[in-house]
Amino acid sequence: MNSYKLYKLICKNADLKEARHPMLDKNRFMKFLMAFMWLYYAAILLFMGVVMAMGMRNSYNGVAAFHVFDGGLLYLLITDFWVRFILQETPAQQAQPYALLPIRRSFLMKVYLTRSGLAWGNLYWGFLLVPFALIAIAIPLGWGATIGWLLGWWLLLVMNGYAYLFCRALIMKHMAWLLLPIAIHGALLAIMLVPDKDPLDMPCTLFMYGFLKWEVLPFLCVGTLIAFLYWANYKLQMGMVYDEVGKKEEKEIKHATQLNFLNRYGKLGEYLKLEVKQRLRNKTVRMSFFVGLGFMILLSGLMYFSDVYDNSFMRSFICLYNYIVLGMMTLITIMCYEGNYIDGLMSRRESILQLLTAKYYFNVLLLFIPPIILLPLMIIGKMSVWMNVGYFFFTAGVIYPAFFQMAVYNNNTLPMNTKITSKQGNTTQQIFSTIIFFIPIGLERAATALLGEPWGYLFLAVLGIIGVATHQYWLRNVYTRFMARRYKNMEGFRASRQS
Amino acid sequence: MDIIIKDLKKTFGEKVAVDIPELTIHSGELLGLVGNNGAGKSTLFRLILDLIKADTGTVHMGQGARGKEHENPSCPDNPLAPCSLPLAPCFINVAETEVWKDWTGAFVDESFLIDYLTPDEYFQFIARLTDTSDEQLEAFLAEYQHFMADELAGQKKLIRTLSAGNKQKVGIMAAMLLRPKVLILDEPFNFLDPSSQNAIKHLLKKYNEETGATILVSSHNLQHTVDISQRIVLLEHGKVIHDIDNREKQAQDILENYFEINE
Repeated sequence: MNSYKLYKLICKNADLKEARHPMLDKNRFMKFLMAFMWLYYAAILLFMGVVMAMGMRNSYNGVAAFHVFDGGLLYLLITDFWVRFILQETPAQQAQPYALLPIRRSFLMKVYLTRSGLAWGNLYWGFLLVPFALIAIAIPLGWGATIGWLLGWWLLLVMNGYAYLFCRALIMKHMAWLLLPIAIHGALLAIMLVPDKDPLDMPCTLFMYGFLKWEVLPFLCVGTLIAFLYWANYKLQMGMVYDEVGKKEEKEIKHATQLNFLNRYGKLGEYLKLEVKQRLRNKTVRMSFFVGLGFMILLSGLMYFSDVYDNSFMRSFICLYNYIVLGMMTLITIMCYEGNYIDGLMSRRESILQLLTAKYYFNVLLLFIPPIILLPLMIIGKMSVWMNVGYFFFTAGVIYPAFFQMAVYNNNTLPMNTKITSKQGNTTQQIFSTIIFFIPIGLERAATALLGEPWGYLFLAVLGIIGVATHQYWLRNVYTRFMARRYKNMEGFRASRQS
Repeated sequence: MDIIIKDLKKTFGEKVAVDIPELTIHSGELLGLVGNNGAGKSTLFRLILDLIKADTGTVHMGQGARGKEHENPSCPDNPLAPCSLPLAPCFINVAETEVWKDWTGAFVDESFLIDYLTPDEYFQFIARLTDTSDEQLEAFLAEYQHFMADELAGQKKLIRTLSAGNKQKVGIMAAMLLRPKVLILDEPFNFLDPSSQNAIKHLLKKYNEETGATILVSSHNLQHTVDISQRIVLLEHGKVIHDIDNREKQAQDILENYFEINE
């Protein structure tokens, strides 16, 4: 078989892997939802492209719309980078099944790196860029400029994709590497947002203008960076293929945390220990915790150091985000990690009820982290204490019970410790996590508008306290409904288990 | 503890996985379940453990006079409690209550193990859930020290890093830890080295003799199954083909003929 045929075969297998993913394979409705969401976001981008082209043309007299758009180059690249965390696998992960076959590792790595560069995903932003270019560039400057500009954007997205792959590979080696993109992007955002005038706006505009004019320098710069990142990825990921196969996990853990102080809580204490150890000892779970914590600190930091978020909506959003995010990271997919050992749990009497109770207490304890992070904002007066009190109880007593409803319906097992973290949560879970943000904010807006600042938040707190006080009742209700659906759920957990 | 299966049927699409009109496993029996791949052994265990839904039929567990099995409405929650009708047996449908989980230990596959715990932590977890004291746990581990072969107790290895054989040992031991009245083990000899296979045979027989527990073991290893079982059920395509009294080891020839071992 020649190299091209082998390339096509490996690509075909990779496509089949996507199409036959256990989470999709068992659920036609899920496939429909995925397709619907793909079209939905494409339509939103398309709409945004048209609106931005028209709006910028009308609003910024004297400055071409594409110049205004290009000023936001880094915002789009940063967004693209983080979105890739939920959509893109690394070549080392993809190459794993072939590691022991008579195919050269170097060839395999080149196939996957090339495939990553040429992936259709890099064209998804085209739904935003193409309509924008057609209106804002093709009409005044013609097709040559349009194609040059679009080609430039595509190359930048390919470069961003390779940068992501590189960072992701480092993060897989050690999670501390997550700080690298956080630091770089945090610094860039600070540079762009803190001063009155964004100092990177003009360089970005000029750089993109070079593509539009088909100048050599920007193409050369991006081309060189792509080549460099391709090479860097190749070198880094080659060594990681066998790490994936061998799963070089530490044979012995350094500290077997005993958590003996939880013994006094009996069976509940044992399930609380499970919650703690699940986070400490499983990469995927641990990483989701730190990613959530990272975003909390990033958003709070941005609000502390700049005034761009100094409006009541953003204050409310950031405060709510801080309280929700850690719970959301694991509770939207509640029971999905337990799907890995669901048969063991189901073999013990009422263990699911104990588990749910422990999960609730553990996540309520996590709610003491946001006030610490938000304390500086409360001290400088950018965020009210009442808002924090309101959201603390509202999250514990209203939002968490809503999250726990997912325990009844979730039936897809998520890997806890494989380095593959692409398919984290299904579409239903993603839709739910989106909705859960807007309902509380809407309620907060209405409550504070009707009752005024402290009373509106006190109202939210009272709703929350009622939920907290009745937690044993609604937890048992969730448990009873879970047990009524147990066969369907267990079947789903087994079918989607990836071992 | 008796296990009574009636009209139990489970299909996956067109394939019949289990189809058993009637089967009673008597209290104190050590029953071996044999059959080729796809015979329905694991599915039957999962049905008994209420881990999958039967298309039709029931599995009842309980204690009572043999041949008089019926549900006693006066003691649906605890068949072990003194009955208001002293001579009537108490049986519960495993799909309708969880009470039977208190006296049932099982290990079917790795989905029974919480693999981010060390073996010690896992045993402690199971012990606390089953109200086993620390002293009882210590005594249990001491009793099984030979079986563990210094590779499990006191180690700081997570279960997921253990070999398949050691995972199997952890699962079997955890199932036996609560001193169950019903013990269900699917392919317990798999992955084990010869010494451990002999050790588990010895342990199962001893446990059965000492406690009178009802034990169900499935295996592809006919020799081991014949060695330990008082009764052997041969399953094929979900149906019981032979139900053999093996107290005098008379199942050996029947099984060898069926599986054409001598040809």
